[in-house]
Amino acid sequence: MRGHISSEIMLEAAVSAAKDYAGFVSDHDPDDGNHVVPGELRRFLARLRLLHGVPFSYLIPDAALLPVESIRFFYIDRAWTDALVQGALSVGTISSADRVQLEAVYPAIRSEVDETERSIRETDDQSLLQGSGGTITGFLIRSRLVSGWPNLHVRGYLRDLQPDDALTTAAESNPDRLKVLRMERLAPAVLLVLFDGVPAVVHIEEPRQGIQFGVRLDKNAPATARSAKVKVRDNQNGNPVPPETTFTTTNSVDVPFRRNAPGVINVTELRKRLAAKAPNSGGTLEPNEYALQMLCFPFRQVFGDPNGAAGARYFQLDQFKVSVSMEKWQATVASNLNKVKP
Amino acid sequence: MPAIGTFVLHSNFIPQLTAGEYELVSEQTGLPFDVAPEHTHVTVAAPRYTMPTDQILSTFPPANAEGAFSDRLPQIVLKRRTLPWERNPEGLVQPSATPWLALVVVAEGEAELSVTVPVADCVTPGTNLLDAVQDKDVQKGLYLAVTETVVKRVFPCKEDLALLVHVREVDIHDTELANGDDDGWLAVVLANRLPVFDTANGKPVRYMACLVNVEGQLAALPPPEPPEDHFRFELVQDWSVLAAIDPKVGPDSRIMGGINLAGVALPGAGLLLDAAPGHGALKAPPVASKATHPSPAVGRPLDGSATMAEAPVGQQWRNVTEKVSAAALDPDAKRLVRDTMASGFRYPIEKFAMEKVLRFPVLAHWSFTTTDNTSFETLMQKLDVSLVGTAEQHADATIGGPGPEVVQTGHIGLHHHSRRGDPMEAWYRGPCVPFPTTRDKVLPGGLLPLAHAADQLRRVVPDGREDLSLASAFEIGRLLALSQLSVVSALIRFRSEQFGIGRIRELLARLSPYVIPEIVDTRVDLGRFVALQVIGDLVQNQAQMLGPRRPIADPGRELKLRGDLDAVIANGLGLDLALLRKQSDQVGLLAALANAEVPMANRSGILGIDQPAVAALRSALNSDLSRALQVAAPPLVRRTTRAGRSAAAIPPIDALDELIAQTAERSPSDEEGGA
Repeated sequence: MRGHISSEIMLEAAVSAAKDYAGFVSDHDPDDGNHVVPGELRRFLARLRLLHGVPFSYLIPDAALLPVESIRFFYIDRAWTDALVQGALSVGTISSADRVQLEAVYPAIRSEVDETERSIRETDDQSLLQGSGGTITGFLIRSRLVSGWPNLHVRGYLRDLQPDDALTTAAESNPDRLKVLRMERLAPAVLLVLFDGVPAVVHIEEPRQGIQFGVRLDKNAPATARSAKVKVRDNQNGNPVPPETTFTTTNSVDVPFRRNAPGVINVTELRKRLAAKAPNSGGTLEPNEYALQMLCFPFRQVFGDPNGAAGARYFQLDQFKVSVSMEKWQATVASNLNKVKP
Repeated sequence: MPAIGTFVLHSNFIPQLTAGEYELVSEQTGLPFDVAPEHTHVTVAAPRYTMPTDQILSTFPPANAEGAFSDRLPQIVLKRRTLPWERNPEGLVQPSATPWLALVVVAEGEAELSVTVPVADCVTPGTNLLDAVQDKDVQKGLYLAVTETVVKRVFPCKEDLALLVHVREVDIHDTELANGDDDGWLAVVLANRLPVFDTANGKPVRYMACLVNVEGQLAALPPPEPPEDHFRFELVQDWSVLAAIDPKVGPDSRIMGGINLAGVALPGAGLLLDAAPGHGALKAPPVASKATHPSPAVGRPLDGSATMAEAPVGQQWRNVTEKVSAAALDPDAKRLVRDTMASGFRYPIEKFAMEKVLRFPVLAHWSFTTTDNTSFETLMQKLDVSLVGTAEQHADATIGGPGPEVVQTGHIGLHHHSRRGDPMEAWYRGPCVPFPTTRDKVLPGGLLPLAHAADQLRRVVPDGREDLSLASAFEIGRLLALSQLSVVSALIRFRSEQFGIGRIRELLARLSPYVIPEIVDTRVDLGRFVALQVIGDLVQNQAQMLGPRRPIADPGRELKLRGDLDAVIANGLGLDLALLRKQSDQVGLLAALANAEVPMANRSGILGIDQPAVAALRSALNSDLSRALQVAAPPLVRRTTRAGRSAAAIPPIDALDELIAQTAERSPSDEEGGA
């Protein structure tokens, strides 16, 4: 029993409190259970980890690193984001005791913020993923694609699940589909996407705002004589006439325009031309068949490693298999030696 | 129902009846008596001048959107599959395969969208509509005023109408295609014009798509013309010069004509002035003339050499888009948004055009802007794909200077001023790196390295330069936290709650001798806790803290006896020891004791108390008793006397009086008894 409080006692108490109470649960969140760090603070730090609010010049320090019409993939440097969080935590650490305490509680903060990171971008009717912080990857795209086609579809897959032109997509709950941690337009033409994992393939898809109808304008035509083409489809099943990637005389028609009218299609003539080329048309096209020919499906760009160049760095060295018995080999060696002997 | 993820296209869905008033006449014949025919009136209703918003499922391009829509045909999706065929465009009662709806796309400056007017004024004067007076869904509507030239160039031909409308049957499980639709049947109306980008001038074009009613005006639609494989973008007619007209000019001069437009040829007037207005030979866009008219009251001279006070076109459309977005936030949004979207399509063409202006009722309209000439595919294919940390490589190294100093690790060399002001180069790398990095490992003891100041994270790399990446991250994190008051207070509260409680507990544990309980959810009342501890201690350490406990019985005085014990006792009790022993030898000790003669105290002569002593004792007893009684009940005597003084003044006797009386009666008797 001591009769007075000395600074020595205070310091002892502070140090021991810092060490012993780091794991003290102070937050009882009805949504996500008990935590050491209050939810408000946890979510702020997790948003910080996902680079919310970080000035863009800190992400890309020079415009040459993200030129116009480019996409840049990256890993997130955990050391950098940890330093970001440490900076935020340093606010208001006035005394040494505060700092001792912060050091003691920091492992708990880091692991809890790792968990909270995943819940920042919650989608409806998808179960929450949990676990400690893994590798975060992502990409930045600076292009007219972002400004001209708002609401791009972005999906990342852990492995190449389906053919590139598959009509369907894997559900967001599929374990092979990486969860998107953040997808935000930082500027009208700059999109930032963060994935929870390392994707093998990334799909970027034209917005699916309903089914669309259209033509393919010739980009290289002069402004005074612009032209367009339409791919021909089989009238029976709607399949495009091969080849799919190029325009030939058999698989496409020139779009006829009205004279002196800016971009007005001569529909009757286009119908005639399509009817002449489309298989199984029977010589004419009904309105529904005409619509079938004019359908435009969303375009999907797949980013990946088609040749497996990245995986080729690792060679399987332990593929030694015994194919010859020891006796046979010894006999072969002995006979060969006998041949060599003079 | 089509399979999931698929849809079926149908050519049309023609109803049995067109819209209008019908009379059902039912007659019955062959009966022995006459039956009066029954007349039933039926109205088949369909929209005519406005499209109910719940019938519009979607539009493409989205309203007020900006994007590269050059190679996509605008479309509107209607929910009722029979809607495009519910009227006969030729003004007949019979259903027709030709739809009465057309989606017309006009560029800014080509046409005028009216304000709301009575529906009778919504069609070109002289048009005969079936049942025009009764059959109208609304009283007031909008119309599109276009010159004959624009109709000839832009509107679909009569033969095109049927091809531009089809019915789509979709799987309703696929909500992406038909959210909110009931049966999955939709009518789709396509436009016949591509909303192309102005590649020649490289500027965005604002378009308005109007769902118009072509009923009764099929003859005005253009006839089929020989096709061309090429086109170039230019406005069919540009009436935007009308925006420059001084609004102060009265209606007279407008109607009478002859407004001096400073030589600017209005589109229609230009055609008329043309000596030989050849078919389809479009007058070139208004050309500024060199005429030296005096400054007119109307408008401004358009002179290519003069600087234009107007904002560039790019800014104009951008303003409109922003205005529409802002108008959507207004409480009166519905009207405002429509009005603002129609701006740019409000030039009073009808008042100035020298040719015939046609009116078409507009059932729905929306505007959008084509800002680009590229396609998604080409842009995607041309993207520069790389990992971050790849600097742009100019083919010509002389352009744009030597570029940033980027190394393989993703670091970039930046100019840096040290605290002393020395200019130097430092390395920086953002959070985006081209390879996986490692994270701080947990140190022995469960701790992690933690920086308290940015300077702790400054690193010097082997080439002698400083790497400021993490220090910058630390500092930006600190500033971001400081920028939000709620975060700062949350941090401080977190510390005081978590650390403060622990510190106080530790301090108390050092100051107090008790074992302080662990911190749990329930609150501990420190005062109560200490009180209980103190009581517990008092109980356990009674001897030290409260003094020794008194024994239940005091030990007796020690007797000191000399000589034979039997002799002493016998002597004290006045027994004859020798006799007792003798008898005990004969009959036993107990019998001997029983027979022994015991001397008694009150035997006369032994205790002498004489009469005078008794009297003295009695008087002492009496005096003590009376004194004690006086102390115990002093007022009794007086009360008794006062009560007996006057009978009249005596109040009714209550319980207290009775008690007093009894006491007073008893007192003397006690004294008597005591005596």
